[in-house]
Amino acid sequence: MGEVWGPAMLLGALALIFTGYPVAFALAGAALVFSFLGMLVGHFDPVLLRALPDRTFGIMANYTLLAVPFFIFMGTVLEKSDLAEDLLETIGILFGRFRGGLAIGVIGVGALLAAATGVVGASVTAMGLISLPVMMRNGYKDELTVGVIAAAGTLGQIIPPSIVLIVLGDQMGVSVGALFRAGLVPGLILTGAYVVYVAGVAIVRPEAAPAMSAESLDIPGSELLRRVMGSMLPPLVLILVVLGSIFAGVATPTEAGSLGALGAMALAAMHRRLSMEALRAAMNDTTRLTIMVIFLLIGSTAFTLVFRGLEGDLWIADLLTDLPGGSLGFLLVVNAVVFGLGFFIDFFEIAFIIVPLIVAPAQILGIDLTWLGIVLAVNIQTSFLTPPFGFSLFYLRGVAPESIPPTTIYRGAVPFIVIQLIVLAGLIAWARV
Amino acid sequence: MRSLQRISAAIDRLNDRIGAAIQWIALVMVIVGSFNAIARYAGRYTGFSLSSNAYLELQWYLFSLIFLMGAAYGLNHDYHVRVDVLYARLGRRARAWINLIGSVLFLVPFAFVMLWISWGPVANSWAILETSPDPGGLPRYPIKTVILVSFFLLLLQAISQIVKNAEILAEPAGGPSAGPSSGSSAADGPGPTAADDPGAAVDGPGPAVERD
Repeated sequence: MGEVWGPAMLLGALALIFTGYPVAFALAGAALVFSFLGMLVGHFDPVLLRALPDRTFGIMANYTLLAVPFFIFMGTVLEKSDLAEDLLETIGILFGRFRGGLAIGVIGVGALLAAATGVVGASVTAMGLISLPVMMRNGYKDELTVGVIAAAGTLGQIIPPSIVLIVLGDQMGVSVGALFRAGLVPGLILTGAYVVYVAGVAIVRPEAAPAMSAESLDIPGSELLRRVMGSMLPPLVLILVVLGSIFAGVATPTEAGSLGALGAMALAAMHRRLSMEALRAAMNDTTRLTIMVIFLLIGSTAFTLVFRGLEGDLWIADLLTDLPGGSLGFLLVVNAVVFGLGFFIDFFEIAFIIVPLIVAPAQILGIDLTWLGIVLAVNIQTSFLTPPFGFSLFYLRGVAPESIPPTTIYRGAVPFIVIQLIVLAGLIAWARV
Repeated sequence: MRSLQRISAAIDRLNDRIGAAIQWIALVMVIVGSFNAIARYAGRYTGFSLSSNAYLELQWYLFSLIFLMGAAYGLNHDYHVRVDVLYARLGRRARAWINLIGSVLFLVPFAFVMLWISWGPVANSWAILETSPDPGGLPRYPIKTVILVSFFLLLLQAISQIVKNAEILAEPAGGPSAGPSSGSSAADGPGPTAADDPGAAVDGPGPAVERD
């Protein structure tokens, strides 16, 4: 019966989501509608729904998910207290004397700061607001500017401590520390590839990525040193300590996250930037995103419960394990579906709806879940960059000035999409060696 | 209609008050979480344990309070993520229809079902005054009760959304042009309101970020 009810419920839920009604409640609604239909024809036992309070309680007491608000708090404090802006400015002055240096600074800041937020809309918007004006003022070509910012804003999806990796770890049942470790190398390779591309542009087309003007660089050496020590090193050290303590196994991601949030507040206070306004903004963002993510999880838990009750999971497992080409076929189909969905729905929805359904088939095929998680993360990140629907481009359009038309943003993203695809292919090839 | 509007405004105010209060929980949670982390190391190296299961559990109690108490507040401010690829292209009335039908068909029944099936386990928890299985842990029945409170508040807020969206649909066709201030009651409450969330009101002309 799964062959009928599975696709019906999956398509039904997607149709409801696409109406634009809040996803959490559309999924819960789909769960109720299909449990009722299933009940009518005697295919669904309503007693199954009684598991929901217990599942909700499981989410409440989930130690891994606790890390989510902590990392959001840490990221928003760094951003709202303008520490992120200072960091970019300092890196800009440091590297701005070279052609393309400012763009490389933006990529570095994106890798570092997006790491602490990991919500693509938030990081692209923040990166755009901070770096677009600076890059345009310094004569960067529009295409390169928007491409760099859109791409740098998505780096946080994969570079730890991204909160999407935390929820992915929770959904796949793998350790968050392991996912963080696995995400670090591809994340750094991507960052490196972006930097190489920008350097290449600076060499081949110097006018597209000029050095900063002499006067903006004209600050005394002692002042520059003070800025490096004051604005650049502390946030860097904070993030390295947070990650280091997780990788060394000294702290759990939850502990590291709470200390990171405290550390970010301490840094802001040291710079006398911990205003009531910044603190309120950080608390508000943390509350808002926590409510959004966790209720999405509660809604999709209801969906998954009913979907399993109707044996939709067996249908998916049969479908995905019977593909020609075995695990390669599985990877191609799953990646194609996730890439397509990535145009319309954010990482969290994919992690909560799709990922629970593919974990079992992946295990049957003997695919390493940690690696699969990273492949999916790079894939979704690429999807976010792909015109015309990519989330990253869409949010960037929200903060870009009128003078930059959407087509410029689309063209700017192309080289970075190519880089993403090469890294994704490499990731898949590497595991198969 | 007038009394319905008053009820809706009262619900919005209630959930906005709660929303303003739970923001502080995020800060308290950071402090409790840091204390727990530090206490674990201090305990390991000094042999003197500061930490306890009570504090460890307090941190996820606070976490639960944020999203359970905040869900209804989030509904009022459109914090729950939407797939807006089509929604953003729709007019004010079409959106009102979606929100109205969604509330009636999905959210209200979901809140009812959750209240109904959670009632037994929560009552049971009170009956035995359930407490943490770990030594020094916290009582469980209060936090489990919050599940009921959460879905009750969500039910109330769904009713308020139904009233507000019905109001939009009751306007004469081509009525007041979709102005940014159409979120009639979202700005009443204390704390973060429509002022710092442009377009946050659910019946406003759109989420702060629109796809077009």
